[in-house]
Amino acid sequence: MATRNRTPLFRKYRDALRHVRAPAGAPSASSSSSSPGGGPAVVEMASLLRPDRNYAPLSTDERSLLCSRGAATVGLPPAWVDVSEEISANMQRAKTKMAELAKAHAKALMPSFGDGRDDQRAIEILTHEITDLLKRSEKKLQKLSMKDSSEDSNVRKNVQRSLATDLQTLSMEFRKKQSTYLKQLRQQKEGQDGVDLEMNMNGSKSTFELEDDEFEDVGFTEVQMSKLKKSEAFTREREREIEQVAQSVNELAQIMKDLSVLVIDQGTIVDRIDYNVQNVAASVEEGYKQLQKAERTQKKGGMVMCATVLVILIFILIILLVLKKILF
Amino acid sequence: MVLIPLIRDYIDRMLQDISGMKVLILDPQTVGMVSVVYSQSDLLRKEVFLVETVDDASSSRASMAHLKAVYFLRPSSDNVQKLRRHLSAPRFAECHLFFSNILKIPQIQVLADSDEQEVVQQIQEFYADFCAIDPFHFTLNIHNNHIYMLPTVVDPPGMQSFCDRAVDGIASVFLALKRRPVIRYQRTSDVAKRIAQETSRLMYEQESGLFDFRRTENSSLLLVIDRRDDPVTPLLNQWTYQAMVHELIGIENNKVDLKEFANVPKDQQEVVLSAVQDDFFRVNMFENFGDLGMNVKRMVDDFQHLSKSSQNFQSIDDMAKFVSNYPEYRKTHGNVTKHVALVSEMSRMVEERKLMQVSQTEQELACASGQAAAFEAVTSLLNNESVSDIDRLRLVMLYALRYEKESPVQLMQLFNKLASRSAKYKSGLVQFLLKQAGVDKRTGDLYGNRDLLNIARNMARGLKVDTKVCPHSYVTFA
Repeated sequence: MATRNRTPLFRKYRDALRHVRAPAGAPSASSSSSSPGGGPAVVEMASLLRPDRNYAPLSTDERSLLCSRGAATVGLPPAWVDVSEEISANMQRAKTKMAELAKAHAKALMPSFGDGRDDQRAIEILTHEITDLLKRSEKKLQKLSMKDSSEDSNVRKNVQRSLATDLQTLSMEFRKKQSTYLKQLRQQKEGQDGVDLEMNMNGSKSTFELEDDEFEDVGFTEVQMSKLKKSEAFTREREREIEQVAQSVNELAQIMKDLSVLVIDQGTIVDRIDYNVQNVAASVEEGYKQLQKAERTQKKGGMVMCATVLVILIFILIILLVLKKILF
Repeated sequence: MVLIPLIRDYIDRMLQDISGMKVLILDPQTVGMVSVVYSQSDLLRKEVFLVETVDDASSSRASMAHLKAVYFLRPSSDNVQKLRRHLSAPRFAECHLFFSNILKIPQIQVLADSDEQEVVQQIQEFYADFCAIDPFHFTLNIHNNHIYMLPTVVDPPGMQSFCDRAVDGIASVFLALKRRPVIRYQRTSDVAKRIAQETSRLMYEQESGLFDFRRTENSSLLLVIDRRDDPVTPLLNQWTYQAMVHELIGIENNKVDLKEFANVPKDQQEVVLSAVQDDFFRVNMFENFGDLGMNVKRMVDDFQHLSKSSQNFQSIDDMAKFVSNYPEYRKTHGNVTKHVALVSEMSRMVEERKLMQVSQTEQELACASGQAAAFEAVTSLLNNESVSDIDRLRLVMLYALRYEKESPVQLMQLFNKLASRSAKYKSGLVQFLLKQAGVDKRTGDLYGNRDLLNIARNMARGLKVDTKVCPHSYVTFA
């Protein structure tokens, strides 16, 4: 695809014209490259954004050239930008924790000789933390929509939408991981018991094959009872874990339902840029009309009349007072 | 040669090198170009949190200095003026300017002059000056393009701006594709000649450096043809999905406006028909109406089956699966509703306006011969109450184009009947059409009845009955 970079030419004209306009022109620190689509000098406003914000893909070309031009309007971003940054930081943390959780799941599922209770606890803690983070992010996201400042409401809405989409994908990933872990747990539990019983059956058959039938019966029961008790305890513990995982799955389902209202459906008319631009124009016009109407009703209102009358009365009384003082 | 990824690439490159929160500022035409290929959710992913048009009065709005502005405009003088106003009172921290076509040097100078606060970080030309509707189909959305039919003396500046826009659009297509084509044009048409010559001058002389690409084995061909050489095709009623929707309801920039129709559900009042985003549409775009109906029915059956199976919740697992698949489910539901609404509207219109009959007559007028039978058919349809005005006009036009010279008396009769039946359309329109695209003006043998061999063949064919539904095929001659 062909492109053409006109920046060098533009800069040349700009400098020439600046020298014409004001003789003392500062030298510009231009470092333009003439490759098509190449990165120009980017003024990185260090106060605004954290450099490690990467929930949107950044290019590898990013340079942070701090130019010493008198940046005319270095405005501070409004307060909600901080909230949105907090949310994105939370989501980053949740992502790293999810990676850890995946590892812990894998370790717990591996057949081990120990009891594996530490693993279970670590998994529980991690799961709780992640659910907590996601819930907090969601609450903050709701808060973001409450505040109503007119100026950049569009920007805020769009930020909210994009954060909501990311949050939804994160929660879905989390849930999928949990459900696969659940499934594998169940498989393992059944498999273990099934294998256990099977092996024992075979074992008992082979050992007691040569004995009488009576003897076989008694021995089978005793050995099996202890094994059964152990596997029962095991089963109960596994059930508890599964219940906990199911509970967190339910919580997440709740979050997802709330979020799905905020997220745009892809491929519909709401996802079209021109539709949104038109709507903004229409709603701005509507707002303007409403404002005009409000102004008119206010002017016509009795309040203004009353206030004027009262003020005039006050003046008259003051004059009377002064006159009284003078005459007496 | 796929057009949509080209524009998407351009937009990606515009947005990827700039970090932080961005605002995208477009002009009324680039809004259309961008919205066809890029969706709002894609923009949000690239951290573009606001989209504005250049017209919005910039001085009254507060400054949002935590945003960086990316301007994507056409390089017209209007836009340059508006940009001057923006630059003299900048609202954003930085400005990155991208123009969709070749800038002239005076324009760059004007911009350099007005950039006193030095907010402009880069100016680039990204040649995305066309609206890529489908992978192999683009339009320039020129709204007054009837102007090319009038003689130049009527409106020279209008004609000039039309030609300029056409040349700019074509140049940008080839720059995006990185090819320099061989240009051929239709000899008999002045407009075609003018556009071809201006394009060739641009590509080979004025900006030959820009167009100097590596030559590939099969070089591209630009063929400039005048529509007046085949006036029959646009007049026919269409029966393939995309063409039919455009004919009956109207598609603009892949958007269909269903607001005037009564039975449309609330959320389907404006829908998007895009081959890229909608799989069903991509498969069925060129299917004829009958097959389309069957496919829609099959889609609805599949969806009902899916929704029924997901409604019985046996355990928490089922519920969890349903919740996790809910976005997909909702999307499919929306898609199915959309296509069902469209197809039902169209079949209602076909019923009301008796389009089957009308189309049959149209096809006969276009392909078969037999003047008397055609006259009978057209008269009877003109008398029919349910045929709409525009269809009546079309029938008379088709008859006039075919049998212009054969029996002027009957043609006059049809004109009178048309004038008496429909208040809106007068016979002057038909006469204008004949003047522009009549037998004398056309070069090719549109109806295949000029030379002796064809006449003989037609006479022989007239003896047997042809029962194909749509025997008309478009004429592109070598």
